[in-house]
Amino acid sequence: MSTTTARLAARRLVVLGILLSLWEVLARFGVLNPFYVPPPSKVGATLFALFADGEIWTHIEATFGAALLGLLLGVVVGAILGVSAALLPQVGEILDPAMTVLNAVPRIILAPLFVIWFGIGIASKVAVTFVLIAVLFFFAVYTGINEVDQRLVERVKTLGGGRSILLREVYLPAVTAWALSNLKVAVGFAFTGAVVGEFVASSRGLGYLLSFAQSTYNASLTLALLLLVIVFVFVLFALAGRLEKRLLRWR
Amino acid sequence: MLDVSGLTLSYGPEPVLEGANLRVDTGQFVSLVGPSGSGKSSLLRAVIGLQQPSAGTVTCDLDRGDLGILFQDDALLPWRTALDNVALGLRIRGKPRPHARDEAEAWLGRLGLVGFGQRYPRALSGGQRKRVALAQVLALRPRLLLMDEPFAALDAIVRHRITQDLLDLVEGEKISVLLVTHDLEEALVLSDVVYLLGRGPRARIRERYAVPIPRPRDIMKARTNPSFAPLLERLWQDLSAEVDAVRRIA
Repeated sequence: MSTTTARLAARRLVVLGILLSLWEVLARFGVLNPFYVPPPSKVGATLFALFADGEIWTHIEATFGAALLGLLLGVVVGAILGVSAALLPQVGEILDPAMTVLNAVPRIILAPLFVIWFGIGIASKVAVTFVLIAVLFFFAVYTGINEVDQRLVERVKTLGGGRSILLREVYLPAVTAWALSNLKVAVGFAFTGAVVGEFVASSRGLGYLLSFAQSTYNASLTLALLLLVIVFVFVLFALAGRLEKRLLRWR
Repeated sequence: MLDVSGLTLSYGPEPVLEGANLRVDTGQFVSLVGPSGSGKSSLLRAVIGLQQPSAGTVTCDLDRGDLGILFQDDALLPWRTALDNVALGLRIRGKPRPHARDEAEAWLGRLGLVGFGQRYPRALSGGQRKRVALAQVLALRPRLLLMDEPFAALDAIVRHRITQDLLDLVEGEKISVLLVTHDLEEALVLSDVVYLLGRGPRARIRERYAVPIPRPRDIMKARTNPSFAPLLERLWQDLSAEVDAVRRIA
């Protein structure tokens, strides 16, 4: 890290520290009502307690399970649909408008319906995450294939390349690039889908805990859980960013 | 080696190019010049087989694999290093990977790109990218090289150097060339024969000029050859006459 970025990071941390201390002080002296805005120390203690008693792990497991399963299914199915729509015109002319409509709809509103269809278990959360991501990835792959630089295609053809070479040398890398640049958005979507699905109806998961905290007016627990989700998403973002950087180092 | 005879090409009802005759003999460097819209590029595309003639024939006693093709807007695969881009053609031809890479390395060297093999196209200059593209084509050992304004986008000095290097390689390897260009001086300096295509539509070959400058050539010194200036003068006047004819109509 260069000195300028190190300094920038330091300045940002200082500002964050000042804000947190201010919050702490204001909450302790009763300027902020701790019932609504508990001080950071209390939020920290709640978070610590959550892990100390160990029960949090089953909730984390439930949310992560739903998010990652939905992500995986969404990526795979979205990619398969995208490839078929791009390569088979008959499929494309049906899927393109259908997906465009689905894309315009805030798909999260399907969550209650999925609970009715799939029950309050993991399946309904996976379903919410899945629809969020499948549509996103459909467009990533579909556009990726359609927007392949035709000069590259011609070039490889004039070098004597056939269908399989074109697929491997041109289409696959081009689509990978598109897909990877959507991966971070997809990670965010995965958690949105899982947590909101749990909000609607569940017996486990961070969304379930959040919903519980809200119904008991436990602001400290709510903030602790929010923090937890944010940290998880950040870690996954960083992993996705790593992957992107590694695979797209030619950019 | 290549014989184009009575070639007519049309996109719409009116042909862009009509009854064109052109020959490239073994080891010859042939250029095709003409005003914009005269169908120079279309003729080249027809030779490659990218366009169907509406009349006439293109006869070539070579396999498709013996043709090397270089266009102005050719792109390298951005996700492949310079070396892998050059090796790509060789691997398509069935050379095993290590073998293809060794050969690609050698060709990069011949084009003055020692040590650039591991760079991605993004990290190369325009001239360097052209050199990689050239290495990619030459590595396949073409017997006839077809080029359409390959260096048009490059600045003067870079263009001069890369053109000289290309000329040396083509003379050394005895590769026949058909070059489409709008640059009359370039055409004369490089070629054994220059064809002038008239204005389009219904463009016809107006003239064939033999260029008696001895080889190997240095593209700076070739200009001082006594036959250069009169030929350029003639070519320039003939081309101007074609362009003026267009202007009178407009």
